[in-house]
Amino acid sequence: MLEATRGSRTAATKAPTQLISLCVNGEWREVAVKPRHTLVEVIRDSIGLTGTKASCESGTCGACTVLLEGRPVLGCITLAIECDGMEIRTVEGLAQGEKLSALQEAFLDQGAVQCGFCTSGMLMSATALLENHPKPDRDQINKALEGNLCRCTGYNAIVDAVLQASGQGVKPVMR
Amino acid sequence: MQNELKYVGKSWRRKDGPDKVTGRAVYTQDVKLPNTLVGRILRSPHPHARIVRIDTSRAKALPGVKGVITVEDTKGIKHGFVETPRYPPDQEVLARGKVVHVGEEIAALAAVDALTAQQALDLIEVEYEVLAAVFDPEEAMKPGAPEIHPSHPKAPRALVNIGGTTETEWGDVEKGFAESDYVREDRFECQLRTHGYLEPHVTLAHWENDKLNVWTSSMGVFVKRAKLAKVLDLPYSSVRIHKTYVGGTFGGKIDLYSHEYCACRLSMLTGRPVQIAASREEIFSAYRHAQPLTLEIKTGVKRDGTIVAQRIRAINNAGGYRGSGVVVIFLAWGFTMIPYRIPNLKYEGFSVYTNHTVRAPQRGHGAPKVRFAIESQMDMIAEALGMDPITIRLRNARGPGEKLPNGDDTHRGNLGECVRVAAEKSGFLEKFGRDRKSPPKGTIRRGIGIGVSAYMGGTLIYPNGSAVIVKMNDDGSAIVLTGAIDIGQGSETVLSQIVAEELGIGMDDVKIISSDTDTTPQDIGAWISGMTYVTGNAARQAAGNAREKLLQAAAEKLGTRAEDLLAENKVVWHRLNPEMRLTYREVIAYSVATRRGDTIIGEGFWRTMRDEPMHPSLATTRGRWTENYAFSAQVAEVEVDIETGEAKLVKALTVHDCGFPINPALVKGQVDGQVSMALGHAFMEEVLTKDGYTLNPNWLDYRMPTIHEMAISEDADVITEQYRVGQPYRTKEVGEGLISGILAAMGNALYDATGVRLRSTPFSAEKILTGLRRLEYQKKMARKKTPEPAGS
Repeated sequence: MLEATRGSRTAATKAPTQLISLCVNGEWREVAVKPRHTLVEVIRDSIGLTGTKASCESGTCGACTVLLEGRPVLGCITLAIECDGMEIRTVEGLAQGEKLSALQEAFLDQGAVQCGFCTSGMLMSATALLENHPKPDRDQINKALEGNLCRCTGYNAIVDAVLQASGQGVKPVMR
Repeated sequence: MQNELKYVGKSWRRKDGPDKVTGRAVYTQDVKLPNTLVGRILRSPHPHARIVRIDTSRAKALPGVKGVITVEDTKGIKHGFVETPRYPPDQEVLARGKVVHVGEEIAALAAVDALTAQQALDLIEVEYEVLAAVFDPEEAMKPGAPEIHPSHPKAPRALVNIGGTTETEWGDVEKGFAESDYVREDRFECQLRTHGYLEPHVTLAHWENDKLNVWTSSMGVFVKRAKLAKVLDLPYSSVRIHKTYVGGTFGGKIDLYSHEYCACRLSMLTGRPVQIAASREEIFSAYRHAQPLTLEIKTGVKRDGTIVAQRIRAINNAGGYRGSGVVVIFLAWGFTMIPYRIPNLKYEGFSVYTNHTVRAPQRGHGAPKVRFAIESQMDMIAEALGMDPITIRLRNARGPGEKLPNGDDTHRGNLGECVRVAAEKSGFLEKFGRDRKSPPKGTIRRGIGIGVSAYMGGTLIYPNGSAVIVKMNDDGSAIVLTGAIDIGQGSETVLSQIVAEELGIGMDDVKIISSDTDTTPQDIGAWISGMTYVTGNAARQAAGNAREKLLQAAAEKLGTRAEDLLAENKVVWHRLNPEMRLTYREVIAYSVATRRGDTIIGEGFWRTMRDEPMHPSLATTRGRWTENYAFSAQVAEVEVDIETGEAKLVKALTVHDCGFPINPALVKGQVDGQVSMALGHAFMEEVLTKDGYTLNPNWLDYRMPTIHEMAISEDADVITEQYRVGQPYRTKEVGEGLISGILAAMGNALYDATGVRLRSTPFSAEKILTGLRRLEYQKKMARKKTPEPAGS
């Protein structure tokens, strides 16, 4: 009787499942993943942090950038199963409670946000840059953000935001 | 009223900014409902084929598949970007009997997970009879070409596959050419480009309690509702489009897309929520891109550069259905006639079906191609006459108070002023021709070029106008109900500024409820460059209406006249006796007590050209178009490496008249974004196709500007309008008109740097090198005085 209602397994459920632990924004989370699951899928769908965006599925736009052990990686071409035991930071982890990071404030001050879809990835790449180079020059900024596409701003305001956040004499243009 | 503006005209930070930098902003892909099914679409592998048989039985039998639909499961109701008596809707939501482009939707299904859905797609059997296909519009027009659809009944008999035409003329062009001192004719072409919105198309639909709840990435919820309700054959009250933030659109999310219908229909069939998300490859291969126009332009001028006559023939490669193809050929006329005075004009535009994907508007909707063509030719004419690019433009530029051929008025718009400021600020004439006269050492050549444009704002397209409700709360704060959707342009911020200004409350006191078809009033949508003008004026009226009611109630309570009262910072006081005062909280409490619980609700509505019933005729251009034209002049400085042929935009200057800038930093954001998109058009982007298949369906092979291609973007706002509290204001256009002049300017700068004149975009290294070699060859041959061989 039980057999009759159980139904056949779908392809998705056939592959083996593994439990992994991720330290996401300072909190350890345990999630069940299949070998095929990408990091962005697990962050968005299993953990429920949707601030990280899914856009190109092929590592070409940077919208899904998160920090893995402090380094920017593309969530859509990183397998979650390879991240077992690692530390991950997402856009949700940038503010300290209510207090936005200097970079987040600078994005608002400079008009570096329009549609906002690239913003999470852009903030993560730029955060990693500022952690390694507190006063980056233009070449370093270009290099750090070259993998993050933005279709709205033309990048000018984003560069200004990074310069403002790193205290390099760029004043807010918005109040 | 107060003269000092506190909120309007200032660069306030975005209202939605904090949510967007913390990841809290909810986009359509972030909306999750329990028990949601994953939907997928089966698409045509052929550019043109008859569907002989579809068998979905094996897919339906696969465990985990909950619903499969084909056109047989629909009501057969057609839709179209344009739906008018002349151009009735022409497309079904799923293909019936025939497919006309690669990627056309044939069937859709919903399953418990993505893998099962994908597996089920492979189990749908479709038998095709492949038909001859045609991809080039000029081939498709010729008698004997494969017929995709019958030509429009009013199209010229001798041509086939004509989806629609636009024809108009004034004066006598032939006489004009005869009276001209100089006449030239050129042909210009543009590549196929795509919008490149980062957020993919995605729709979540949930049929619950006889009502469809829909979350979809769009540019206007009321248009979506109208089209969805129609094809689903449901009353509007049964379809609710919910608000989500939108991750970029640029024109590519206006139309009804098949996946939106399919998600809804599958949810109705299965009783479960259904989400359909397009992959990036699907978007590149099967979704709608922009319109590649071919333009043939003949222009006659007097010796002093004054335009006498112009004849234009535009051909649009419209793809497999009508789409916005018949709109772009109308617009190509419009973008021709606004900037310069043309005493004699003959225009004809053809929208031609081909076996390409259907076309959609893309930021500028034809203007980049039109301005590139006309502005390039303008420079060629100037050179032939021995004039500079500035003088010839000033000779023809429209000024304030001019009547346009369609009866519209330029009001205070002033292209001449834009050109003058642009020339001065860029030091144009000092730089122009420098590297051609005395080429510098090395391989880098720098050039400067100018292009002008003009754009209309807020024309009459469903639902034609916007209404706004401002609902005050007991404490004097306000809720704004607006159908306006924030696609990144900043509508929520701008509307908040206006309401705060008009009501005398703080920015933080204003909260926006937006873009929800059930709870917010009708709105024009974020797609004809009219939101700040149309919805903004409606918000101003609604707030003004609330303010009047507030002052009326206060006057009653204070025993004075409303005209003698002032209101600011949530306090009402008598202008002669400041001691006579009430807080907004006190006034509203009085209103609640005496006006049946009214906490004070203001209503506003705005529509352009109230005496005009509808948009001008797409076929004849007759009828008024808008009351808002924004003019602009843009200067590009370009560097070309003559060894590699690589060119780049170094510096852009945009001088524009957007009317009155409600938020100058948001205006600047629009300028920068358009400069960036235009340089992609100029140097990088092209959707490559072969036999209707997209060859580069990803961002590795379709190159969009990255941070490395960022150009210096300066701007100057020629402010011609003012904002006064309580008065209607005129903002014009800034969201898409500035993508065109700069494209033309880059082409002209490229010529200035190298002497290579390109009549097609993109300005690839290959074309530039070929041009340079031809110039060298011509120089050599000129010395030898032998004719140039063909095809060099």
